[in-house]
Amino acid sequence: MTYTLPASALCRFMAFAALVAGLLSCQGERSPTRSTASASRDGGSSAARREDGSLRRVRAAGVLRWGGDVQGGAPYVYEDPDHAGRNKGFEVDLANALARELGVRAEFVQNDWSALVPSLERGTFDVILNGLEVTRPRVGRVRFSRPYYVFAARLMARRDNPRVRADINALRGLRVGTLTNSFSEEILKDHAEIVGYEGTEEPYADCVAGRNDAVLLDDIIANIYGVPKPELRVVGDLQDGFYSIASRPADNDLSLALDAALARIIERGELEQILRRENIYNDRQLGLRTWGDAEQQRMLGLGPSAPGSAGPPGAAVSSTAPHRMSFGQVVLFVKGAGVTLLLSVLAMMLAIPLGLGLAVARLYGPAPLARIAGAYVEFYRGTPVLLQLYVLYYGLASVVRLDAFVAAILGLGMNYAAYEAEVYRAGIQGVPKGQMEAALSLGMSTPLALRRVVLPQAFRMALPSVTNDFIALLKDSSLVSVITVVELTKRMTIVAVDTRSYVVPGLLCAFLYFAMSYPLSIFARRLEERLARS
Amino acid sequence: MIEVKNLKKVYGDRAVISGVSVSFEKGKVVALIGPSGGGKSTLLRCINGLEDFQGGEIHVGGEVLHPGGYAKNKRALLALRQRVGMVFQTWNLFAHRTATGNIIEAPVHVKGLSVEAATKRARELLERVGLSHRADAYPHEMSGGEQQRVAIARALAMDPEALLLDEPTSALDPERVGEVLDVMRALANDGLTMLVVTHEMKFAREVSHRTLVLHGGAIIEDGPSHDVIERPTHERTKAFLGHTR
Ligand SMILES: Nc1ncnc2c1ncn2[C@@H]1O[C@H](COP(=O)(O)OP(=O)(O)O)[C@@H](O)[C@H]1O
Ligand SMILES: [Mg+2]
Repeated sequence: MTYTLPASALCRFMAFAALVAGLLSCQGERSPTRSTASASRDGGSSAARREDGSLRRVRAAGVLRWGGDVQGGAPYVYEDPDHAGRNKGFEVDLANALARELGVRAEFVQNDWSALVPSLERGTFDVILNGLEVTRPRVGRVRFSRPYYVFAARLMARRDNPRVRADINALRGLRVGTLTNSFSEEILKDHAEIVGYEGTEEPYADCVAGRNDAVLLDDIIANIYGVPKPELRVVGDLQDGFYSIASRPADNDLSLALDAALARIIERGELEQILRRENIYNDRQLGLRTWGDAEQQRMLGLGPSAPGSAGPPGAAVSSTAPHRMSFGQVVLFVKGAGVTLLLSVLAMMLAIPLGLGLAVARLYGPAPLARIAGAYVEFYRGTPVLLQLYVLYYGLASVVRLDAFVAAILGLGMNYAAYEAEVYRAGIQGVPKGQMEAALSLGMSTPLALRRVVLPQAFRMALPSVTNDFIALLKDSSLVSVITVVELTKRMTIVAVDTRSYVVPGLLCAFLYFAMSYPLSIFARRLEERLARS
Repeated sequence: MIEVKNLKKVYGDRAVISGVSVSFEKGKVVALIGPSGGGKSTLLRCINGLEDFQGGEIHVGGEVLHPGGYAKNKRALLALRQRVGMVFQTWNLFAHRTATGNIIEAPVHVKGLSVEAATKRARELLERVGLSHRADAYPHEMSGGEQQRVAIARALAMDPEALLLDEPTSALDPERVGEVLDVMRALANDGLTMLVVTHEMKFAREVSHRTLVLHGGAIIEDGPSHDVIERPTHERTKAFLGHTR
């Protein structure tokens, strides 16, 4: 049986494609956000500037709202173990000091770390103060203050792995773990095979387990999560980077006031005290005292970069305005879609037979087996798939060391098997009892009767639901990025950071999902109609 | 060739068959009649092993069934069902298979016949029930009478020693009853052993050699069909026949 797209569906599909194509072509019109920020850096003219009201707004409200994620943990912002519900950390102290300088109170706003910049843009808070590294893509979107911390990108590896050396050019061919969209990831681009993580504990755990060759992350993170692991060693520091306060480019007054406040806090030695309290003060911080416009320009990648100077890699040569997606990125997108599709197909190929087995065990198996099957279904439906993926990949790493892609297939497949089991159970129960009896009366055994008579009919009845489940799986597969698999959605966020815009990558991503799922949903609807007729 | 000894069947605490003993000879057609709820279907289903029972035993050919259902009688059941075919009131054709597909299913997958051989046999059987032209039709494309005739052909494809038919014409439109009875009549003439639950008194009288009257889970009358139907002795048989005639 072949299914062809009806003309009307084809029209809708083409209209959507045209919409995406249109947005692709007009994307250059977004104004470069950098201009405001650079203007404010011109120094002298600032007295004559008109106020933009951002500082007045903060003062009137009496609060400086700063965004961060307590999940980042110590020493940045973390829950005070002695006072439940209260946060501490060097950034809490710094925020309080800054607010005091502005004559207001500091108010912390919890926000998922990966979404701090979009939340800032939406106005969820006034500034980001949470280990936000100065990177090329971010310079294009936010206005960075002078830095409040100088960190080093620190390379760690297993003690028994002598291949890893402290040289960025010696990492070629190695799998190096780091946080997605971090400074270290920027450094690693084109130099190593990047394994992107969402959390700070996981890359080091994977390094111990041998799932990556090395980890490159900020020294603060390395000291807390990597160094305590006896299997790992510090290979060396590759490059310095900076934490700065990020504000909206339009909030010039506030930015200038924060820069001035930060300067006073540093001058007075108060920042040093704050950093010493968390034991993260070191000689790298000495340069912060004499920070001037030249250093700031260099950090932002605008001025001439001195040899060996610390600046975002490649920042000096690349434009910081939003730019078009390159052909290479489009190819990567299509590859991401390929990963999503392959992952979904393989997971479904696991879920279908496993679900079938569960359904049959539940309906026809001996009591203990039926109960186990029932428990499986309830367990997998009753807990989040994200948690299941986590446990499978990280939790069981000491027992079975699964490859990330294999873990993704297993995790999604085993989860969807629970849903498939219920679909088939309903399908089997929907087959009239007489079908089974007729088969038995012809001398078939129960398993043979199931296989030849009941299941084929149950499966036909279940097929529309199975197709719908597959469409849901296509979309749920984006969750596997937590275990380092780069599929379509992950590719979209990576490219969005590169191009400084979510609009085009987001639409392309949506289009690719749509292109995969829409034919399937038409297929499902056709099947339902056919079944209704017969 | 079929012998039922002191069969007892209960649903919950209600006896549906209470100590029935009866035997059926090879080559004979027996009509099972009686009021609804008398236990006719249950008796047939027990003989075919589709229902478990609580007491007595059932002999078919060399196979013996005891109480305990599938778990206790697995081997005997599978062997016995190949010797005894069953035709249901509502046909129960496999909905996802054509007429031919229905007929060859068990010969191929139970007996291990090749598809070609089974298909050849299916063609002969379809001709025998007058449905050669419907070989590739799906159940939902056929009338009830046609489906029931395919169901009979499907049962015959296993070469059963006996055929159990549970009200094979009751669910049919009146104008379709005749075509199925004609097939059954032909099978009787060929000497097939048949056990037919039916309300067609004309068929019982003309075709069956013997008639049993089942009432309240017991056989209340048993004899040559002509005698039982024309001169019933039991009051309940008289009342029942008075209703149906
Ligand atoms: N699955 C069942 N559960 C409980 N009672 C049943 C079941 N099947 C049949 N019975 C009862 O057994 C009795 C005999 O039924 P049946 O053999 O179908 O009668 P007949 O075919 O003669 O009409 C009836 O009283 C019926 O209600
Ligand atoms: Mg009945």
